[in-house]
Amino acid sequence: MKIHYYPGCTLKQKTTALDVSTREAMKQLDVELVEPEGWSCCGAEYPLTEEKIVGLAAPIRVLRQVQEEGGDVLVTTCSFCFAVLKRADKAIKDDPLKHKRINAYLRDDIKINPLTKERKTDFEEYKGEVRVLHLLEFLRDRVGYPRIRERLKRDLKSLPVAPYYGCRMLRPQKEMAVDNPDSPHLFEEYLEAVGCAAVDYPFKQECCGSYISVSLPAAATEASYRVLRSARMNGAKAVAVTCPLCFYNLDHRQDAIKEAFLDFQGIPIVFFTQLLAWALGVDKALLGLGEHSVPADGLFSEKSSPEVRP
Amino acid sequence: MTDKPIKKEKRIGLFVCHCGVNIAGIVDVERVAKELQDYPGVSFSTNYIYMCSDPGQQMVIDTIKEKHLDGIIVAACSPTLHEKTFQEAARLAGLNPYQIEIANIREQDSWVHTDKERATKKAVKIVKSHVAKARLNENLEPIKVDVNRRALIIGGGISGLQAAMDIADHGYEVILVEKNPSIGGKMIQLSETFPTLDCSQCILTPKMVEVSRHPRIKLLTYHEVDSISGFVGNFKVRIKKKPRYVEEKLCNLCGECEKVCPQVVSDEFNMGLAFRKAIYMPFPQAIPGTYTLDAENCLGLNPVRCGKCKDVCDKKAIDYDMKETIVEEEVGAVVVATGYDLYTMQALGEYGGEKYEDVVNGLEFERILSASGPTGGAIRRPSDGKVPGSIVFVQCSGSRDTEHHLPYCSKICCMYTAKHAMMYRHRVPDGQATVFYIDVRTGGKSFDEFYQRTVEEDKVLYIRGKVSKIFKEGDTLIVWGVDTLTGKKVEIEADMVVLAMAMVKADGVQDLLKKLKISTDIHGFVAEAHPKLRPVESLNAGFYLAGCAHGPKDIPETVAQASAAAAKVGDLFAQKELSHEPTVVPVNDELCSGCGICITMCPYNARTLDPDRGVAVVNEILCEGCGACAAACPSGAAQQRNQTDNQIFSMLRAMLRE
Amino acid sequence: MRVKLKSGRDQRKFIQRIEELSGENVFACYQCGRCSAGCPMASEMDLLPNQIIRLVQMGLDDDVLRSKTLFLCASCFTCESRCPKGIDIARVMEAVRHILDPKGKDAFGPGEIPPELAQELPQQVLVSLFRKFSK
Repeated sequence: MKIHYYPGCTLKQKTTALDVSTREAMKQLDVELVEPEGWSCCGAEYPLTEEKIVGLAAPIRVLRQVQEEGGDVLVTTCSFCFAVLKRADKAIKDDPLKHKRINAYLRDDIKINPLTKERKTDFEEYKGEVRVLHLLEFLRDRVGYPRIRERLKRDLKSLPVAPYYGCRMLRPQKEMAVDNPDSPHLFEEYLEAVGCAAVDYPFKQECCGSYISVSLPAAATEASYRVLRSARMNGAKAVAVTCPLCFYNLDHRQDAIKEAFLDFQGIPIVFFTQLLAWALGVDKALLGLGEHSVPADGLFSEKSSPEVRP
Repeated sequence: MTDKPIKKEKRIGLFVCHCGVNIAGIVDVERVAKELQDYPGVSFSTNYIYMCSDPGQQMVIDTIKEKHLDGIIVAACSPTLHEKTFQEAARLAGLNPYQIEIANIREQDSWVHTDKERATKKAVKIVKSHVAKARLNENLEPIKVDVNRRALIIGGGISGLQAAMDIADHGYEVILVEKNPSIGGKMIQLSETFPTLDCSQCILTPKMVEVSRHPRIKLLTYHEVDSISGFVGNFKVRIKKKPRYVEEKLCNLCGECEKVCPQVVSDEFNMGLAFRKAIYMPFPQAIPGTYTLDAENCLGLNPVRCGKCKDVCDKKAIDYDMKETIVEEEVGAVVVATGYDLYTMQALGEYGGEKYEDVVNGLEFERILSASGPTGGAIRRPSDGKVPGSIVFVQCSGSRDTEHHLPYCSKICCMYTAKHAMMYRHRVPDGQATVFYIDVRTGGKSFDEFYQRTVEEDKVLYIRGKVSKIFKEGDTLIVWGVDTLTGKKVEIEADMVVLAMAMVKADGVQDLLKKLKISTDIHGFVAEAHPKLRPVESLNAGFYLAGCAHGPKDIPETVAQASAAAAKVGDLFAQKELSHEPTVVPVNDELCSGCGICITMCPYNARTLDPDRGVAVVNEILCEGCGACAAACPSGAAQQRNQTDNQIFSMLRAMLRE
Repeated sequence: MRVKLKSGRDQRKFIQRIEELSGENVFACYQCGRCSAGCPMASEMDLLPNQIIRLVQMGLDDDVLRSKTLFLCASCFTCESRCPKGIDIARVMEAVRHILDPKGKDAFGPGEIPPELAQELPQQVLVSLFRKFSK
């Protein structure tokens, strides 16, 4: 199976763990990931005012490239990018005026090949027919849990993992339409399929603090603290995330959390694809564990998850 | 030249009303009367300031007699207002009431236009069209039908019981059908009732007893209405008698069967907070006073797997061979009193859905408060029986939520929440009660005073803000709310939470209502004929409604509505015979090809196909004269009386010529 | 000192602009406060989210434009998902930020991040933060 895949800028630089573990895991499932040629930043934020239409240009440009390459599905792992791409696509689908304006903006697009210096200026209009899927949805619907289960090479022995959805994957429900924001089970089903035991805790969709961790760190520190504390209280040994920003707030900022809340006990944070890759037999060195501030190596050892199939 | 029989030309009188300035302000009524003077068919034409007044009506009566009129047109307001007035006037003058035409030149003309010249021209056209129609009107007689003076009441809660007693006290026979083993509905599950704090069972059981002993009430419990056919005054009802496996008259309530029954089941009367056996009495004051064997939870009756209850029954009251039977009754009126249910907590995922045992709904809390409940009236929380030191009450759970749940207000929650908080504070004096509200709606008599007592005397903390999330941390429930009045986000630790869940349509009743073709609104509540002026009658003739089947309401209103429905049934029964509007759509057998299109069009099920003659047949009593069949009939066999195709075309010709 | 509410057209101008930009009907809000109850950043805010909506309803633009609340919103959409009237409060916040004087000072600009921190931060934080809070 060949599928278009959008990593997003952060995955190529600061959080390569999410990108590498995704690729390696997909290799084991015979899924070839193809990045749209010359893709650029999606903009990170879906413009919330009716007038900032130009903010839709960047994500639609990505989708147009997918269309140009004959793809009708775009898979992404980063929930932030997922929200932007999906919502921008829906905005185009629902509002013909926005559709017209964005295509008008993109008409002036020029692509220059960095190697050959070739210029491309004639682009087709984006028709609005690409479906944006989160990798979790893709794994459930297109790959299927049975295929994952039959290819598992390591037994994670029902490791209790707390799924952390964060904000962007599920809300606003009307536009994201992934799951019920107050009682979701997409991530839980995935964890069970991979061999973990999904932990139920009330903070799985509470905000981690997002970019407020830079503008007013104290507020975000409390938010992250409450999420991790709840996960721990309900028996989790690790927290699985789908977004580099959540990872930053929940992993890199654990020192700040410890300083502000003396009763805080650390907990390793992992990307959901690291669990998948490891369970499918991928080498530990290819999981990107070096990027973690809180060591997660303990979760990925022969002792904790023995091999079941060569 | 052919010899055509010349029909005697009708003598039609025209009365154009000024309606003060309502019509005359825009339409030149004198001109209208004048222009129509010489129109074919018009023998007399005049205008007057208020036709509906006594002198106006007297003028109509006198003129009919003096001028020997055989048809009249009153050009005035909408027929919905005064058609009957002038029909009556005509009748008094000796003219058939169906020779009256009301030409609406107010709602259809003077009230919607500002150009006087054109409005006047329009009025002339409207009147001319009615003259054209009037020339072809026939004398009609109302259709008479007998009334069977017996009433069927569906539902044995407070609304059904009240209606039954009132109708029976009038002197008529009543059949009361209740699908549960006992009457009492939801009210018998309540502990105290607001605003008097009367013990619910104490005030309800006398009514239950009265109903069971009333000579004119036939009480059918553990029965379900299967279907109703016929029409107002003449209904045929099929009722399913469910097998109780216990002979009511023989059972002496000794309780030995219950002691030996091995099957323990969740007790629905106690909202799942207690258990009962497969053979059980729903509650001690149940009427009829008999045990019932719940076949679904019994180990097996066919073949008999256990048989212990039968063995210990001294009175030989238990009979495993009972079968479901059908009872057929004939009645003249039906009162729908099927009650309500509470919105499911599963829908509120952010409040824990149904995850947490200690998050309960209003009825569950009533059972906890009740002296005959699972805790004997001691307030203990379901999970561990601990006496809660802090209870949070959340109003509007599912109500007033246009986005995710139900848009309407459930009316009773503000009062019962105040009552719950008050009861908790009385029984657990150290306990902390907090109520989260958006508004407090206490409009009934003595209601606001009751609520103020809760706040001032019982020191219940009312916080204005809607709760965002409820979750468990260890042993305690955490409630996230806000105080919009001080602008503070709040977090409360509670031992128990009581959600005031929205009131919704009764479970399992939808299918019955659909079968009976009783109109409901979009929420499944039975629709009334007019929201202000006809609140207890359904749009379907012969069906009345009472209680929460119609919409959320409290006990005082329910009782009032039930008595009102009974009075309306009394209206129906007081008539010697029923009179039905004759402006129905008969079938012309010779033209009818039996295609059946009209049968599918009829919203009142008035038409059927006669298989032997291959033509459509109409039950004139059921026909409401909507005309849908007449419009659809391809052969013209369906012609509405006094609104035939011919008449309609003549109206068009009158309007369009010129 | 009494707050003088603008009358008629003047009052409508501000509200209309907000409704135009956000696409939301602020008058659908019946001040239940559920948005504030669930907002993760509300405890740091000077005006709660429901109070912002209330002030917009009353046309009190000065109070709204001066509040710190606008720059504490993390666009997590918890408010939107809980609102019983389906109002997207995050969009209203963005609309107000949009109206703020475009030549004014950044609420949070690049100059406020120490370089070592900037090295560490994932790019998406910087992009989203500046798109929301700076000119």
